[in-house]
Amino acid sequence: MFSLAMRSIRQRPGRFAATLLSAFLGATIIMMFNSLLDTAGADGVDDVSSESLSTAAMVVGGYGSLLVFFAVASTLTVAVRQRTTEIDLLRSTGATPAQITRMIVGEAAVVGLVGSLLAIVPGMLGGRILLDMFQDSGQVADDVDHAFGTIALMSGIDITLLASVGAAFLAVRRATRAREQRAPRRRLRTWGGYAALGLGAALCVTGFAMGDAGPEAMAPPAYGAILLSVGFAAFSPALLGGLLRLTGGLLTAFGGGSGYLTVHGLRQRAAQLSGVLMPMVLFVGISVATLYMQSVENDHIEAAGLTQSVDDKNLETLNFVVVGIIAVFACVMLINTLYAATSYRSREFGQQRLAGATPGQVLAGVGLEGLLLTLTGVFFGTLAAVAGVVPFTVARTDDVLPSAGYGIWLAVVGVAAAATMATALGTARRVLRTPAVETVALAA
Amino acid sequence: MFGRNGRRGTAAGAVDGGAPHEALRLVKVTKVYGTGGAEEAAVTALDGVTLSLPAGSFTAVMGPSGSGKSTLLQCAAGLDRPDSGVVMVDGAEMTGGSETELTKFRRERIGFVFQQYNLLPTLNVAQNTVLPLKLAGRRVDRARVREVLARVGLADRMRHRPDQLSGGQRQRVAIARALVAAPSVVFADEPTGALDTRSARDVLGLLQETVRVDGRTVVMVTHDPVAASYADSVLFLADGRLVGQLNAPTADAVAERMTHLGDMYEAEGPHRAPHHDPRNSAPMGV
Ligand SMILES: Nc1ncnc2c1ncn2[C@@H]1O[C@H](COP(=O)(O)OP(=O)(O)OP(=O)(O)O)[C@@H](O)[C@H]1O
Ligand SMILES: [Mg+2]
Repeated sequence: MFSLAMRSIRQRPGRFAATLLSAFLGATIIMMFNSLLDTAGADGVDDVSSESLSTAAMVVGGYGSLLVFFAVASTLTVAVRQRTTEIDLLRSTGATPAQITRMIVGEAAVVGLVGSLLAIVPGMLGGRILLDMFQDSGQVADDVDHAFGTIALMSGIDITLLASVGAAFLAVRRATRAREQRAPRRRLRTWGGYAALGLGAALCVTGFAMGDAGPEAMAPPAYGAILLSVGFAAFSPALLGGLLRLTGGLLTAFGGGSGYLTVHGLRQRAAQLSGVLMPMVLFVGISVATLYMQSVENDHIEAAGLTQSVDDKNLETLNFVVVGIIAVFACVMLINTLYAATSYRSREFGQQRLAGATPGQVLAGVGLEGLLLTLTGVFFGTLAAVAGVVPFTVARTDDVLPSAGYGIWLAVVGVAAAATMATALGTARRVLRTPAVETVALAA
Repeated sequence: MFGRNGRRGTAAGAVDGGAPHEALRLVKVTKVYGTGGAEEAAVTALDGVTLSLPAGSFTAVMGPSGSGKSTLLQCAAGLDRPDSGVVMVDGAEMTGGSETELTKFRRERIGFVFQQYNLLPTLNVAQNTVLPLKLAGRRVDRARVREVLARVGLADRMRHRPDQLSGGQRQRVAIARALVAAPSVVFADEPTGALDTRSARDVLGLLQETVRVDGRTVVMVTHDPVAASYADSVLFLADGRLVGQLNAPTADAVAERMTHLGDMYEAEGPHRAPHHDPRNSAPMGV
């Protein structure tokens, strides 16, 4: 079965592009941050430098890794779910569930490993650039050399592999179980979701108590926001369902044929869409949370009657760069996952067209769906971010909400909406270029 | 929709004067695949096909694999654009415009039934059936939908999704969907190709009924002489050309003619004999 996995990858490399990209980017980010730990641990590094490097790697690298883990896992989940037809076919040709599981998980392992190996060089370069920035901001002595050692390498490979293989295993287990056995997966998802929400809420609450700690006080609420995002993403199908119940009548009444397609398609696919929602919620949650926390930190410095020193300024820039990297990663994952999920739907679009939908109606349906996805993602992402930002704000200032206003939020939401709509519509347009009759014949 | 009372109103530009009313006309329709690619030899799937079918007729199209039957149906139904020639449905000429224009043309006049059903997996039986009406922005009359589904014997399955139905039941839903908008011509490409004998008989009976009772025109591709015998006449296609016609066919006569056609085909066209139709193979690679 492992040879089957290898053959499957060799024959259709394109199909693995999305998962490979996510494994590669994820591993790059983890290696980049964790190489700072290697650097800090090297011989002859002074205590101050070592301290700043470790803190940064623990704090940012820590929640960066957590985010990478869930983003890679959600891409893998979407990718495996797309292969239900193939899995059904294999089952009907006599493959046992165990054989199919070994094949899919084997593929995921190969892709995760290749992605991590490819990430080594970019991870090294990225780590070096990060170190330069720390040195420029004066937090690390200039004579410290960048090191890329076992911590960077192993954490990069391990986390990426664990996310790919774990997600593939859970997704394929669901696919190989007959329809009647859906309950176990639901339960796992529900419990996982509750666990993430509970842990996330707990971390956010500890933020209240961390008023006097340094900038690393940001870490628990930031972790909390990520975990809450993950938990919300697990429950998002239910919310999407609720949103549909609320707006369904309206959409079918005013959305015409497209509204009809969207409402009824989404209702059935709500569970699958959580794979797309996960990166969106993470993107909105982590971007909004950290950007507002930084603004609160600035307010705090100001309120303490200090002017921002050059070091503070540098620290701020560094924070923005680091958050930027993570936000860009989440956004790329959102695009990547949505692209994979949409291009997979060519057959479905073909069937809609054969049933009498014009290309415009199909596109309008995809657009409506993107809008509902964005609404859900933004709602949950914002909720997670607020849960992280409020404790931090209370701890650092006399207010409950940051004074920065809605600008940051609007900008983040704008990026999420633009990425979602552009990806969904762009991909659908490309898919619609194939004649409808061909798209339905391909997967027959 | 299944109006037993009175005739269907004439579609825009339809002629009602001359009897019998013409439902489908093809004039010198040609379709060539693979002209662009240098490495691939061009395949003439349709080679100047001209035909005319009266309203209320049931026609079967037969011919060897790769003879162009599916291409003929798709060109006639506006699912594919012929390279040259004229297609007229219900007196209106199909112009080779955009997909949107073709779709709107089809909505008014054409129903299509596929071998692989092509129902939307996320919609239930009732939703699949009314989809063409919803997409065309037409009013959906619940009683009518129930009537259509009762006609195909699925009134008690309205809330089931396609994956909860047998192949025969799915094909009956597909027929209900093709009929719901009251098209003048219904095309069916091997509608019984994936069905057992009994389900196939049900499906053929339904198609026959739409012709006899509702006066619709049905064009059906089939490989099965028994299925063809349900039709009023059989058109034989070989090498993209019409090579014969059989009226009031019996299964034996059709089978006999097909064997003969096979001989002729092998004798005449060795240069393009073993066509591999990519759409009939299972590309489901592992
Ligand atoms: N999209 C396509 N691209 C290239 N060639 C095609 C395409 N579709 C059909 N052909 C070719 O056109 C010819 C006619 O195909 P068509 O599908 O109409 O045959 P058919 O009579 O329906 O065969 P079958 O009985 O096997 O379904 C064949 O030689 C086929 O290989
Ligand atoms: Mg065919």
